Amino acid sequence: MVVAVLTLFVGIGWVSSGLNANEDPIEPLVIGAKAPMVDLKVRSVSGDEFSLQQIAESNGLLVMFSCNTCPYVKAWEDRYPEIYNLSIKNDIGMIALNPNEAYRNKGDGFSDMKKRAGEKKYKFPYALDRHHKLADAFGATRTPEVFLFNKNMKLVYHGAIDDNYESAENVQKPYLKNAIKNLAAGKKIDPSSTKSLGCSIKRGE
Amino acid sequence: MIYLYNILLVLVLLVPGRQVAECSPGTQSTDTSNVPEVVDVDYEELQSVIESYRGKKAVLLNVWATWCGPCVEELPYLRKLQEEYPDKLQVVLLSADLRSDRSRVAPFLKERGVDWKTYYKAGDNQRFLNQLSKQWSGALPFTKIIDRKGKVVGQWQGSASFDKFEKHVNKALEE
Repeated sequence: MVVAVLTLFVGIGWVSSGLNANEDPIEPLVIGAKAPMVDLKVRSVSGDEFSLQQIAESNGLLVMFSCNTCPYVKAWEDRYPEIYNLSIKNDIGMIALNPNEAYRNKGDGFSDMKKRAGEKKYKFPYALDRHHKLADAFGATRTPEVFLFNKNMKLVYHGAIDDNYESAENVQKPYLKNAIKNLAAGKKIDPSSTKSLGCSIKRGE
Repeated sequence: MIYLYNILLVLVLLVPGRQVAECSPGTQSTDTSNVPEVVDVDYEELQSVIESYRGKKAVLLNVWATWCGPCVEELPYLRKLQEEYPDKLQVVLLSADLRSDRSRVAPFLKERGVDWKTYYKAGDNQRFLNQLSKQWSGALPFTKIIDRKGKVVGQWQGSASFDKFEKHVNKALEE
């Protein structure tokens, strides 16, 4: 009986998770592209609604697609506060967006997000990307995945937080931190695009 | 009466617990028969594995993880294809689980009927990501199908239906 119930429960989860199958490749924003949908309001766990334009600071904007349910997010998540502090110090606004529409009842719902933000003491807005509108507009494929824009809201860096999700101490290439510092200093950002292991965004229908 | 009560209590406490343990993903089983071998490979070693099938079999490379729902959904499809074409196709499963979950991989696969040698992603992550495919952002799952001549006939990230796998495998087998 217990086996049957668990099998059914797990089975439903797996079947549902397959709804995000996408036959067409998703094309991400290219470097230099303008941030899309900057006036779309998203609801943060604080209850406030923000647009990307409102979050941006004088030197730019950092958009991080994240979630509650991905082990890679959990592995990188303890580095979020440091990234936020560095962003604010350099007059760059930061927001995390949860686009996992198909997992709203499986750990990525709004109440789950509120709980997570509280537990991890997020100081930045953690907001619902309802129906993954922003993820689609950005061409985001995974969590975590970051997009950094300059003061003109043009994309200057896209991809990974750093090169080591397993260990913050053993990071060799802190891509995002370097990009933030170089953006604020007016220096070239190199590399401007990196890859990272991540959980596919659970887009659902 | 007390004796019967004790027996019932033991049954209630132990039997369901055993059943739960048997069906929980990642549970270490004491039965080691048909547990697939899971070998650590860096990018170059994985390429050597794929190259070893050149001229002999088509290869279906699938990067997956035990906690990845869409990946786990695909495992029965991949097992079915391996069973249908044992002499023409080699399904190469590459786990991208966190190092802390490395020991879960073999029993997890065994529970799902995978009994052939599989692989675990080791070495430099960025090298894997950059070299494996230009079309792969790093999102799981990722699939690449290569024919016997070494030509890539299909690759995609995200989950796929059995029909999509079969269509590309058939294309690879035409060569």
